[in-house]
Amino acid sequence: MRIDRTHRAWAIATFAVLAASTIVYLLDVLNAPQGPRGGSVVGLLFGIIGFGLMIFAALLGARKRVSTWRLGRAQAWMRGHLWLGLLALPIILFHGGFHFGGTLTRVLMWLLILTVASGCVGAALQHYLPRVMTAEVPLETIYDEIDHVRLLLREEADRRVEALCGNLGFAKSSVEGSRRAGGFTALRPIAAAAAPLRTSAAVSAGASAAVATAPESIRLSQDESAPLRLFYLNEMRLFLERPRKHSHRLAQAATASGTFAGLRAVLPSRAHAALADLEDICEEARQLARQEKLHRWLHGWLLLHIPLSLALILLGAVHAVMALRY
Amino acid sequence: MARARTTKELAQRIDLNYFKRPTPLKHAKFWLSLGVPLLALLWIVGRGISSDRRIYSSGSLSRAHAVLENECAACHLRQAGGFSAKAADRACLDCHDGPRHHASQIASPLCATCHAEHRGRVPIAAASEDVCATCHATLRNSQPDTRYAARIHSLLDGHPEFAALGQITDLPAGDSPTIKLNHSIHMKPIRRGPNGILVNLECGNCHRATSIEADLTYSDAKYRAAAVSYNVGDEILPVRADSLRGPKPITGRELMAPVKFANACAACHLLTFDKRFDEGVPHDKPEVVHSFLLEKFQQYIAAHPSELRVTPDPTEELGGKLIPPRVRVFTVSEWVTERIGDAEELLWRKTCKQCHTLTISPGGALPQVAHANIKTQWMPHAKFDHDAHRGFSCVNCHAKALTSTEASDILLPGIAICKTCHGPGPGRADARCSECHTYHDWSKRKEVTPKFTLPALRTDQ
Repeated sequence: MRIDRTHRAWAIATFAVLAASTIVYLLDVLNAPQGPRGGSVVGLLFGIIGFGLMIFAALLGARKRVSTWRLGRAQAWMRGHLWLGLLALPIILFHGGFHFGGTLTRVLMWLLILTVASGCVGAALQHYLPRVMTAEVPLETIYDEIDHVRLLLREEADRRVEALCGNLGFAKSSVEGSRRAGGFTALRPIAAAAAPLRTSAAVSAGASAAVATAPESIRLSQDESAPLRLFYLNEMRLFLERPRKHSHRLAQAATASGTFAGLRAVLPSRAHAALADLEDICEEARQLARQEKLHRWLHGWLLLHIPLSLALILLGAVHAVMALRY
Repeated sequence: MARARTTKELAQRIDLNYFKRPTPLKHAKFWLSLGVPLLALLWIVGRGISSDRRIYSSGSLSRAHAVLENECAACHLRQAGGFSAKAADRACLDCHDGPRHHASQIASPLCATCHAEHRGRVPIAAASEDVCATCHATLRNSQPDTRYAARIHSLLDGHPEFAALGQITDLPAGDSPTIKLNHSIHMKPIRRGPNGILVNLECGNCHRATSIEADLTYSDAKYRAAAVSYNVGDEILPVRADSLRGPKPITGRELMAPVKFANACAACHLLTFDKRFDEGVPHDKPEVVHSFLLEKFQQYIAAHPSELRVTPDPTEELGGKLIPPRVRVFTVSEWVTERIGDAEELLWRKTCKQCHTLTISPGGALPQVAHANIKTQWMPHAKFDHDAHRGFSCVNCHAKALTSTEASDILLPGIAICKTCHGPGPGRADARCSECHTYHDWSKRKEVTPKFTLPALRTDQ
């Protein structure tokens, strides 16, 4: 979620509450002979408010899971989660008088600090990374389908190379019975649009383009196709199988471009169109690898944030009950 | 030409049920979200099964209560059938008595108001100055006719000058000793005896804490060994009845002991009374001195009967002509009476009077020596520990001793001297009220019945 002008009201409200809380806390410090304590009236008030903020922040997960709830827009919940969750930390510090106390309260304090810190890191990542994704991964696809798309890219590359070099014995993937977008049956090949459809947006824009002719079948002789065959079998196919390997020269756009330029020099010109397709496939594979990396950054912090916040709520409830007792 | 794909072709790459398939990220998120709270729950349940309540403690106990770290129930008394188990005053009073501060106080705070627990290994008896200030900053509100300062917030804020220095009305000010002592002279080089060497006294030659062995540099073994007929009441002013006592007995190193003649004065101030004797009279009451003189002169004349015939030195007329002395013959009784009279004239009029205040009655009666009235405790509502300040030179605080000429001069340093070291913040000595004052009136302390036994303390360890 981008932190933009739409957050202004939340931010102002948060800082206003924080300022008021700070004043109340300082007054309590001045008037409490033994210093601020969690068990004093003001301390308890801070504790209740802080725990309430944590509960509210945790309810975002429930709100996401049960999307049919009509309790405000998801974006409003997200903004509330972000700002009120952040506010919970100083409120709880006021509650404890900046003391971490005993074992349970110390655990709770560190859980809260880690939860809020991971949330702040997550908010920063979610603010910046989507723009990076848009700029660097125009061929972005659904993250969960990346492995499948990568397999399709490899099969597409196999077909292109076999069209030039003859049968290389690549196994064809079995047709999956899964239900796929666009219907079960593939339509007949569509002619290339006037403009290359390289991006989802461009594809959408040119979706109504005229039906194109099927690509022309060109077969090279054994000698002519040898460099391509060697390159594909020894480099490109390995790259398509394991595109996350950074040391591969096709993993970098600049070195890949040089590699394909060298191939173009040794292959006859009638193979250049297929070579361009292969270069395009490599580019898409690189983008998918980049998308995977960015996605892990974008969502990886949740592996810390969510479990810790759940533990925080659970132990916070225990603390509340036992503090009332003792 | 780059390869071309339609929207449909791109869409067909996507499984419509992709979101139902678990990915490693989703897997990890799910199991961690389940596992971490479960671990937390197991931790709580485990502690509960082992009856270990320490995890709910809001902090370590104070040093004095560290042994009760595992004994939550010692202070957190559970009401019968109730859920709450708050720490209660009666739990404190099981082990400690907490006498009232003043009979006139209008409210008694809870024990925990001043002695907050679970604040780490701190001295719990040392209450915060803010606690005291809750009453003493507005004392006039609760006790309009109080004679004490009514707006004391802390040592640095509102604390009055020491009463002994005479700045509080209605309280007896100053010192009223009957001993005459010129500190200034004693702090300068002085000659020891008429033809003796020059000596430079130090404070410790005369002053020492009660339980510390006296410096015997200027003592006299005979006087130290002698039994005296006067008692402590003749020397020391009794401590005021309304003085607050500390919770623990004093060690004897806190306050200065009264200066004793035998220990500090006898080596220089000889109590000689007659040229026939080298020894001096006892440092005792006039009756004892008189008896001593009687005995000495009787013994002497018995041994020297020739001295009953007294031939005075010849005197001269104005013209220089010598007048032959008239020989006088005394009886023993007359001779002894005459010598005692001379000796007592010397003692009562000069030797004793140099330091003591004597009331000489006409008609030859023995004089009355006023009680010394030496004060041993200058601040009845506070405690001061000289031993804790032993690293500092005496005149650092008692600078007036260098210039004082009268024993009635009060050499007690003012509170400003205390404030040079004691104050808030790091690098300064503690300035809490409890450093000098005690809250509870321990003179009214009651004994408590022991509650704990050692095996009980060991059960949870």
